[in-house]
Amino acid sequence: MGNIVVFKNFSNFSEYLNQKNFILLDGATGTLIQKSGVKYDHVPEVLNITHPELIESFHKRYIEAGSDIVYANTFGANAYKLQDSGYSVEEIIGAGVAIARKAVEGTDTLVALDIGPIGQLLEPAGSMKFDEAYEYYKQQILAGKDADVIVFETMTDLYELKAAVLAAKENCDKPIITTMTFERNGRTFTGVSPACAAVTLTGLGVDALGVNCSLGPDELEPVVSEMSKYTNLPLVIKANAGLPDPNSNEYNIMPDEFAECVCSLLKYGVKVIGGCCGTNPDYIAKIKSEVADKEYQPQTKSVDTTVCSSTTVVELNGPRIIGERINPTGKKLFKQALVENNIDYILTQALSQVQGGAEILDVNVGHPEIDEKKMMVRVLKAIQSVCDVPLQIDSTKPEVIEAGLRYYNGKPILNSVNGEEQSLSTVLPLVKKYGASVVGLALDENGIPKTAEGRFEIAKRIVERAEAVGIDRKDVYIDCLTLTVSAEQAACRQTLEALHRVKTELGCKTCLGVSNISFGLPNRELVNRTFLTMAMEQGLDLPIINPNVESMTGAVRAFRVLNGIDKNSLEFINAYNDAVPAAPVKKADSNVDIFAAVYNGLKNEGAAATAKLLETTDAMQVVNEMLIPALDRVGDDFEKNKIFLPQLIQSANTAQECFDVIKKHLTKTSGTPVSKGKIIVATVKGDIHDIGKNIVKVLLDNYGYTVVDLGRDVDPQLIVDTAVEQNITMIGLSALMTTTLKSMEDTIKLVRECKELQNPDGSSKCKIFVGGAVLTKDYAMKIGADYYCRDAKESVDTAKLVLG
Amino acid sequence: MITLDRLNRKEAIRYLGGAGISLNYRMDVLMDECEKEILKTAEPRFLYVERKEPFDDILLGNDIKKHLEGCHTAVMMCATIGSGIDKLIRISQISDMARAVVLDSFASVAVEQVCQKVDEILAEKYSGKYMTFRFSPGYGDYPIEMQKEYLRILDAPRKIGLTTGDSCLLVPSKSVTAVLGISDNPIERRKRGCAICSMKGKCRFRRNGEHCGV
Repeated sequence: MGNIVVFKNFSNFSEYLNQKNFILLDGATGTLIQKSGVKYDHVPEVLNITHPELIESFHKRYIEAGSDIVYANTFGANAYKLQDSGYSVEEIIGAGVAIARKAVEGTDTLVALDIGPIGQLLEPAGSMKFDEAYEYYKQQILAGKDADVIVFETMTDLYELKAAVLAAKENCDKPIITTMTFERNGRTFTGVSPACAAVTLTGLGVDALGVNCSLGPDELEPVVSEMSKYTNLPLVIKANAGLPDPNSNEYNIMPDEFAECVCSLLKYGVKVIGGCCGTNPDYIAKIKSEVADKEYQPQTKSVDTTVCSSTTVVELNGPRIIGERINPTGKKLFKQALVENNIDYILTQALSQVQGGAEILDVNVGHPEIDEKKMMVRVLKAIQSVCDVPLQIDSTKPEVIEAGLRYYNGKPILNSVNGEEQSLSTVLPLVKKYGASVVGLALDENGIPKTAEGRFEIAKRIVERAEAVGIDRKDVYIDCLTLTVSAEQAACRQTLEALHRVKTELGCKTCLGVSNISFGLPNRELVNRTFLTMAMEQGLDLPIINPNVESMTGAVRAFRVLNGIDKNSLEFINAYNDAVPAAPVKKADSNVDIFAAVYNGLKNEGAAATAKLLETTDAMQVVNEMLIPALDRVGDDFEKNKIFLPQLIQSANTAQECFDVIKKHLTKTSGTPVSKGKIIVATVKGDIHDIGKNIVKVLLDNYGYTVVDLGRDVDPQLIVDTAVEQNITMIGLSALMTTTLKSMEDTIKLVRECKELQNPDGSSKCKIFVGGAVLTKDYAMKIGADYYCRDAKESVDTAKLVLG
Repeated sequence: MITLDRLNRKEAIRYLGGAGISLNYRMDVLMDECEKEILKTAEPRFLYVERKEPFDDILLGNDIKKHLEGCHTAVMMCATIGSGIDKLIRISQISDMARAVVLDSFASVAVEQVCQKVDEILAEKYSGKYMTFRFSPGYGDYPIEMQKEYLRILDAPRKIGLTTGDSCLLVPSKSVTAVLGISDNPIERRKRGCAICSMKGKCRFRRNGEHCGV
């Protein structure tokens, strides 16, 4: 002790951590402020300006009680929360850190820049962008340059915390401590589990992580023990003093009990200890005396190989299925979806793979006609908004890789690096920076070695290079490469042998794209499944397969049972117990005609009736004389309140099935696609409630229009650009809130001003229809729309009017 | 703590514009499934704080002043059924839009039922006194921007994970902020009515000659 230079030399924080047995933080500041009775406007951080001596006195009391680190009074001092306070972030944080610095003068105590959540939720739940969050945090970090340590606490969103940690890492070299707040159900408000927090934050390279606020130390054991399972970093506990009494607001755990509870958690590797709401200097003093005769218990256990999203951890403790379907290679519809920005198509693929049994999804959106980087970020975010499984970012372009790693929430797999120098030196540092796992392809500038020996050598080189930049070899998954057996029959054995050696000699996990093996052979499924089983027996951990092929997924599940990985066959039983025996798909009643099928929302029957009718009737006749009249009748009944919204949608969906049958029929016979015209739909900037827009989309789709859905919270410029690029002259905009009607007006204005969207006489080529709960016809006209649609049905009427 | 054990299906149908229609079997099943799913996913949370007079800082505009006239205490409250509901609805919008709209409707019913339970808790707490109905930012001339102030005063982001942003949408979306007045003297039991409603002149219930019921 006493060597201040070492303690305050930030590059040596780990030394500081090592030297000290336990590190004591402070207790609550808010509770002391409340008790003091001092009044403040807006946020308690303004007290740094109005009552600096009071804040300093709090710090001093904690220093006297034994705190090794005090938190400056800067928790909520971000630009969003301070916007009406009359002070800048720099003023409040500058003052806050200065007060703490003054308080620690002449002591060994360090000053932490304390940073809490911004106060708005990030996408996908909220509308704040990752980059906006990053900028808020960057501003705070720069303003707090005189602090010794950076603390992010009371965080509930792992994505927001990732933005914060990156902002710290990229703008200073101070040590970082992070704590998140968990509810009694063991998750944060946004669903983050302690395991996901531990895995992701360890990967991002924080110095200590843990938990603060919300619960008392008596209730934290499940959270702390789960975190401990997934990291060897020192853990942090800054618990509440139990629960507040609703009437007196007094907390119910006293210092003695508090310290005792905390000590019972030391076995999990807890090293950094303080108090949150309801605690005061007495608690800190008590903890100090209680831990005086205890030893920090560093964790050296081997932590399982894991990847995660913000809610789900997948441990690679046996073969795990990576779904291969999000990939345009050889898929016409997928390519088209990419070009048309049809994210829903990709999401449907994602959901169906998870349903099929995928535990991780590979995401590849490489296509020459699109901006792969933008699309990768967009697709990753979209998939993470609806799927819990971890993702594998699949690209060879460094800029796509970096963007993917940056905007992913959790710990992803990167697919891939290979033995080429160029690849090793650009990709591995990115993998390290963002704390991902990486697939290493056993090939290099000379191609794929023919022999197992050659591939093993490359694998070894990749592992060595990974370790050299600080990536643990358990995070490197080697792909020994599947070659087509019909072309090179001997290669299969080489692949399997290389795989076996990598697994046993390098101790790495392995990964393999399986389906390629059978190219050019009949009964591919049989070859694939047999190869998969052989590879698993050699030690394959991550088969990349189509999880919707039942026999493939089944082979992995059965393998896990037979190898005792799936304990008591629980997963297997869950997967198959209630399964209806491979469905003799419900035979559609062929006596139902199209009209009845559409009216009653019977999809299978509608498709069957359409197919039957097409044998004898012209396709356009079916559309114009059967489908459209049926839909019109549904629409009429909806307007007359004879049926309600869910029925209207089901009918429309049935019509969609019929249209699909017709489309297929037409492409077979004449190649003419049936589209009645293209329409852009979007929910305007700032607005994230998009169910109304989505209903409109479904209906327009089903009435035969091609809908380009730009999503929600859409930048006006994107709408204009899309209209120009795809030559679209009909645009639908939705806004839910009075506060976002302004964006609608701005968007319309931008469309009208765009030269490319004007006729030679300067009039606008575009017809714009608008809708949304708070909109009226008068207002719609006032802001320059062409049509006001009060519901989805009217949007279709308008489309008919404009496009026919 | 508030738990929900069933949801008012009639309300859910009415929100969907189905008042008075008879449901076929398939719709019946869909309604059942969606009610169960919302009950399973909802995580009701609420907060309230009491403000004794004066509470000038929250009295913006005429309608709120009128609403709290004669009240010595204002109870500010907020409630949410959590972000899992938003995710559930988001997922179903991709796979089955008809289901999504029914889930959305039940979720609206669920958050209203949570608010009603908060009303009951407050009614018990203030038994012997008189209480106004819930009045929310966005009603009448009460600015929607007050939403932020409510959440700040209630410490809602930290305590129940309820937030807003520049557009004043609440996130999670199935959430409510409101204020109720407490008085020692009887309060004229006015209904909220259409006059002060933010949807006045735009709402689909009125268009069909109905009333939303509040």
